[in-house]
Amino acid sequence: MISDYLISGKNKTPFKPKSVDQMPHSLSGLSYKEWRDARKKNHKWRNIRWSVLLFMNLLFVASFVLDLSVLEGSLSGSRLIGFYLMDPYNSLQLLAISSTTGYIAMLTMNFWIGFITILLFWFIFGGRGFCSWMCPYHILAEWAEKLHNYLIKKKKIKEHHYNTALRFIFFVGFILLAVLTKNLVFENLNMVGIISKSLIYGPSLLLLWVLAVILFEVFVSKRFWCRYVCPIGTTYSFVGKLSPLSIKFDLDKCGYCLECQKVCLVPHELWFVQRGKATQNVHYAGSDCTRYGLCVDVCPGNALTYAVRGASSLT
Amino acid sequence: MEKEQTEISRREFFKSGLTAAGALAVVGTGAFWLNHLTAEGRIRHDFLRPPGAIDEDEFMYGCIKCGLCVQICPVQAIKLAKAGEGLAFGTPYIDPREQACDFSCDALQCVETCPTAVLNFEPFKKAGLFAVELAATQAGNDLQQVNPFEVQKVAMKSIVRMGKAKVDHDTCLAHRGKGFSGISRGLNFKGNYRAPESEDASASPLNEKTFDRDPCNLCVTECPIGETAIIQALSRSGRKLIPRVLDGCTGCGVCVMVCPTKEPSIIIEPY
Repeated sequence: MISDYLISGKNKTPFKPKSVDQMPHSLSGLSYKEWRDARKKNHKWRNIRWSVLLFMNLLFVASFVLDLSVLEGSLSGSRLIGFYLMDPYNSLQLLAISSTTGYIAMLTMNFWIGFITILLFWFIFGGRGFCSWMCPYHILAEWAEKLHNYLIKKKKIKEHHYNTALRFIFFVGFILLAVLTKNLVFENLNMVGIISKSLIYGPSLLLLWVLAVILFEVFVSKRFWCRYVCPIGTTYSFVGKLSPLSIKFDLDKCGYCLECQKVCLVPHELWFVQRGKATQNVHYAGSDCTRYGLCVDVCPGNALTYAVRGASSLT
Repeated sequence: MEKEQTEISRREFFKSGLTAAGALAVVGTGAFWLNHLTAEGRIRHDFLRPPGAIDEDEFMYGCIKCGLCVQICPVQAIKLAKAGEGLAFGTPYIDPREQACDFSCDALQCVETCPTAVLNFEPFKKAGLFAVELAATQAGNDLQQVNPFEVQKVAMKSIVRMGKAKVDHDTCLAHRGKGFSGISRGLNFKGNYRAPESEDASASPLNEKTFDRDPCNLCVTECPIGETAIIQALSRSGRKLIPRVLDGCTGCGVCVMVCPTKEPSIIIEPY
């Protein structure tokens, strides 16, 4: 169990692919096609997730506009019923600059509490879970992705892939830039901050930048910002490296249909679903996984589930 | 086959790396340019930073632009700078002509709420505690006579320094020997403040008050700090009563907000 928890199993020798008799459709006496199409219109987790995302973002707005004072501030820094929460990448930039200038000593206890709380919270709830359950850009990008997929299907545009390691370059680069310019440079390009603050404090001109990135995602490269740029997501993927809450994969129930990889934002994290790739009977999705659950929704055999690592499935 | 694949992914990695480096270079140049602009000082001289703001250089990176100070202000004096307003985008400012900081929150909540201390609460905390101790000693340790909250409140707001008021001698009604009667900024003005004589703890709209003064002395009577900040004094010629700003001025800007002339005849010069 401990080994399940810690090791991705990518370097081990893979199992042989399952034979037809062992496939879940044979076991349940269906044809492959019937089995595969069984859950095509299932949107359970997507609907739950969208509700949470919209509720939290509207709670920010209502806290200010209606003076509810439950969740004050914005996604850059906030206070939940008096308890501070800080954006981790924002805080990292600030810490980088302020440790070179000595300003670090000035930071308040509330800042440290907020920074550590958010890291702990998202460690427990799966790192990039922030992206899909909180980030207001994510929901826009999901809709952009739908449009993008439609255009691809109609052969109007071509898909462009980049190297996912780009994110690490941006992660380090924006911290370096912050230190060099003594300015939180990334905050002016930050999708999360711009949209969150536009919702709460009224629209700003920088929404044009958001629009530009969305158009780029629609016409050029699927989920460009989330996959290749966003250093906030990268920070959370570090945080969620060993998160207990993850997506669990059960080889026994898998029929190699690959529906999950088609809907996944980070398909490389589901490498083990392909025929003959799995090296263990149970795999957990890696740290780039945003726990957004589309794979859980589409999987015809319920091979993918939300689970606490090492424990039995939650769903 | 395998070798070919690594070749491709290596090339792809370099391509991606170059793209990233290019993007960062563009962003960096932009940031340097913005920094250069803001290093000249604030572009909008009629805008103030909220109470307790530290030096601009540190403010620029210390402020994470979360807007907590904006949310806590009961009169909504604090706003976040939009692109093109001179101050770095997203940082908080006060436009005193539209809505001044009137201290109706009593305890400088914007300063206390700031998590990164760019609105630095430490000096206020010290001043408040010191004042309470002093008052207690003076009252012979008879704490019944001292209202610590009241003492703390007065001490804290008196050390705020957002700027200092300056009267324009050419346009000021008092300097021109004129009085003022009516609603100072017109019926449509939206600003609120807590008038010094008001018993009500919350701020009330300025356009609900009618003044009748000769000579005009609104800036003197409506000042939330009082006689350590601004007084009515005889002019050098001895024939006119004019406002005179003293060193106790906190730069809160209530005088700027209430000034009835078309362009304010009193402005706050930021430090």
